[in-house]
Amino acid sequence: MKTMILSGIFAGALALPALAADYTIIAPAAPGGGWDQTARTMQEVLQAEGISDNVQVQNVPGAGGTVGLAQFASSASGDPSQLIVGGYVMVGAILTNNSPVSLDDVTPIARLTGEYEAIVVPAASPIQTITELVEALKADPGAVSWAGGSAGGADHIAVGLLAKAAGVDPTKINYIAYSGGGEALAAILGNQVTAGVSSLGEFLPQVQAGTMRLLAVSAEERIEGVDAPTLTESGYDVVLQNWRMVAAAPGLTDEQVSAVAADIEKLNASEGWKTALETKGWANTYLAGDEFEAQLAKDKEATEGILREIGLVK
Amino acid sequence: MSTFDFLLQGLATALDPMILFYALIGVTLGTAVGVLPGIGPALTVALLLPVTYGLDPAGSLIMFAGIYYGGMYGGSTTSILLNTPGESASIVTALEGNKMARAGRGGPALATAAIGSFVAGLLATLALAFLAPHVVKLALVFGPREYFALMVLAFVTVSSAFGDSALRGLTSLFLGLALAVIGIDQLTGQARLSFGVPQLLDGIEVTTLAVAMFAIGEALFVAGQGASLQDKAIAVKGSVWMTRSDWGRSWKSWLRGTAIGFPIGAMPAGGADIASFLSYAAEKRASKHPEEFGHGAIEGVAGPEAANNASAAGTLVPLLTLGLPTTATAAIMLAGFQQFGLQPGPLLFATNPQLVWGLIASLLIANMMLLVLNLPLIGLWVRLLTIPRPWLYAGILLFATLGTIGVNPSPVELGMLLIFGILGYLMRLFGYPIAPIVVGLILGPMAEQQLRRALAISQGDLTTLVDSPVAASLLALSAVALIVPLIMRMRGKGGVLAQMAGDED
Amino acid sequence: MSLHFPEKPRRPDGAAFVIAAGLAALGALLVWEGNRLPQLGGYAGVGPADVPKLVGWCLVALAGWTVVAAFRGAFPERPRQQVPPLLWIIGGLAAQLVLLPMAGFSIATGILFACTARGFGKRQLWISLPVGLAFSLAVYGVFDRVLELNLPAGLPETLLYGG
Repeated sequence: MKTMILSGIFAGALALPALAADYTIIAPAAPGGGWDQTARTMQEVLQAEGISDNVQVQNVPGAGGTVGLAQFASSASGDPSQLIVGGYVMVGAILTNNSPVSLDDVTPIARLTGEYEAIVVPAASPIQTITELVEALKADPGAVSWAGGSAGGADHIAVGLLAKAAGVDPTKINYIAYSGGGEALAAILGNQVTAGVSSLGEFLPQVQAGTMRLLAVSAEERIEGVDAPTLTESGYDVVLQNWRMVAAAPGLTDEQVSAVAADIEKLNASEGWKTALETKGWANTYLAGDEFEAQLAKDKEATEGILREIGLVK
Repeated sequence: MSTFDFLLQGLATALDPMILFYALIGVTLGTAVGVLPGIGPALTVALLLPVTYGLDPAGSLIMFAGIYYGGMYGGSTTSILLNTPGESASIVTALEGNKMARAGRGGPALATAAIGSFVAGLLATLALAFLAPHVVKLALVFGPREYFALMVLAFVTVSSAFGDSALRGLTSLFLGLALAVIGIDQLTGQARLSFGVPQLLDGIEVTTLAVAMFAIGEALFVAGQGASLQDKAIAVKGSVWMTRSDWGRSWKSWLRGTAIGFPIGAMPAGGADIASFLSYAAEKRASKHPEEFGHGAIEGVAGPEAANNASAAGTLVPLLTLGLPTTATAAIMLAGFQQFGLQPGPLLFATNPQLVWGLIASLLIANMMLLVLNLPLIGLWVRLLTIPRPWLYAGILLFATLGTIGVNPSPVELGMLLIFGILGYLMRLFGYPIAPIVVGLILGPMAEQQLRRALAISQGDLTTLVDSPVAASLLALSAVALIVPLIMRMRGKGGVLAQMAGDED
Repeated sequence: MSLHFPEKPRRPDGAAFVIAAGLAALGALLVWEGNRLPQLGGYAGVGPADVPKLVGWCLVALAGWTVVAAFRGAFPERPRQQVPPLLWIIGGLAAQLVLLPMAGFSIATGILFACTARGFGKRQLWISLPVGLAFSLAVYGVFDRVLELNLPAGLPETLLYGG
């Protein structure tokens, strides 16, 4: 019976017609993570919408995506059918890991999705506003412990930027790095730390349930349906989006780059992509071409600056 | 409707023949993939998730539950029969289980693992249904210092339970701790012992080490004894089924394993592997036949297998009540739930009772289906051992490398597999136990990180470590576990303990 | 268990000294790495360099203990080992590692299969090689094509299953 089912699926896989515009998407992370899910969602939608006939996903995990990036830059050069998924985390990882290959060595096509950072405190905390939290930080930086993701990641950078904007020495922040979102959340819920910082999506269900208090978000302007000020309107000039993007291989001709960019634009405009983002709870922050390049350059500069100030990059 | 009504309703839906058929497919596929060394439940679920996409929500939910339980159980089969644990939670199963299989008692070992998994799955799923909101409150009490104390307890109890020589057990453990240092330090982002090799920045994969140490090391060791190749492994001696005394020795271990596994799984930083280590240590202490440990004690299979399954259900406590994915498996399950429109979070039980109870009912059914599928298959599984050795070991190495290639086909990863395989061979040759090195790799980073987190929160104040009742009692318990055997040995009691001490005196 | 431990003292086992030297070298490496790493203890006071140093010193101590144990003759006797079977298997694994990127999964793994069988006494490579290749191809079909595990493809895979 199992063989019957397997051979059924098998025959189906073989029956796929092999036409043009095949893609191989490198997910520079292990199966299951955010980049892998982005790559596999792209695979599904690209095929379902008929933008590409055959899309393969290949996982090359390691070191914040820099292992996959390095392999991609060297082996995919000049091949327009190769794509890589990446994100803001890579910008920091390239610096902290002294990666020999950077985002300048690939051809960024477009930003696809993104999430803003959120700052919360446990519901039982006496702190009510972001200003109160920053006052506490100014009074005694060590006494304010922050739970968030890995060292040098988007969460850490957000805290560093906030400290800097508030006039507190970023090296003095007491940042407690956790491996997974779940563990950091548990530390906040269990009142183990003063405050927590992570992507808004992770905190939102807790905030709605009243177990955490949302103090601020790192968006440009207020987010619809989210009752919290931005950091900027609270007087701290911090805007940070943890985005995911897709890039093509280095060494492509202009025509090849535009062909890939056109396919990605079709993907972004498709109904299937919209539905997929909704089910996954990802915000569409599509940005392409020169605008994306300018944003990327800005992010790189700000990230490098703050990582140096925190002391993670020399 | 009360809790009980919801559950009954869920079970009624799940008893549709078509739904049962989906459960069977899920369990079969899950077992088939989970059986591969190096592919644990997380990856099994990740790989097979797309298979469930095409079905209606009820069918898809139950197939998903089946895959999950199948993946959990698959690892223990190869641990017992071939001494090649598929993932970290079934490492201790290999310790006693494989010894049993070699003595011709593979049948009872597989049976106690299957029934123990079933009993633990049943009890833990019921506990999940009725106790989840209470258990999760306890789990949140655990902060870094409590985890650190728990790790200390795990180190103390586990290291006393391995091997017959303190020197060799400790050496193996510290080799594991040394390997654990490799990679990016989680708290500061510093690269340690990675020598500029980017593939080393993420550290050594536990599954790579376990597969290399157990599967490849074992194959080399057996091959090296060339002359004894003629004597085939005894597939079955006596009954394939458990004897009366097997039942008598197993049932308490199943219950103890469940009692250890469920709360540890519910803790945000706990896990099936830690639960199985602690259960093994507990069984060794509680057993009336401690001298059999290391030679095929059935309690050493029954307890840890129950513990790792109970812990899997425990993982669902923070996931369903708080929306916290605390393990890789839970994170993948979260992705799986989203396709059913189920957004785990603190309000889930209140806003979406049908789906939650549907899931719990599916887990109960899948658990049952696993038993139905696997008990009759035990006779068949045991026959694996009658395959001539050249083919058997060629197949083992094929599947052992397949897991690694499938996850990360880099030459560095395969090179590590080879090097650790040779290390595993040498360690076997010189009488060093294998399990502590893997335990060191798993527990080392956790102990280090939790200690440093605790100290960072207290700003360097060491008294924080004993400043909470839970942490203080766990540390006191560790001290007792360390000191009592010493006193007992000094008083000349217990030949077993003297043997544990090995060449120390 | 203690059966393996000879009662009467015998000549110290040479292998024990090699093991002790290896442990001491590994310990020294960890201590050296600990000294190289920056002291980033922060508020914890315990930084990334401290655990490597601690583990390193413990390994050095274990090396010393190993030497003492060797002089006491507390090392177990070893089962006699044959070298050729080991070389076949290690060679098979190495061949798979080297061949995988260029020849693909089935050829590389088929060779590993045949070498392992040879290590276990199956001398007829003309049987075990085709068996290994066929088996690997079937495994590739199930795991790469049906379960999307993405294994490296070579010529046989492309011929049988298409691009």
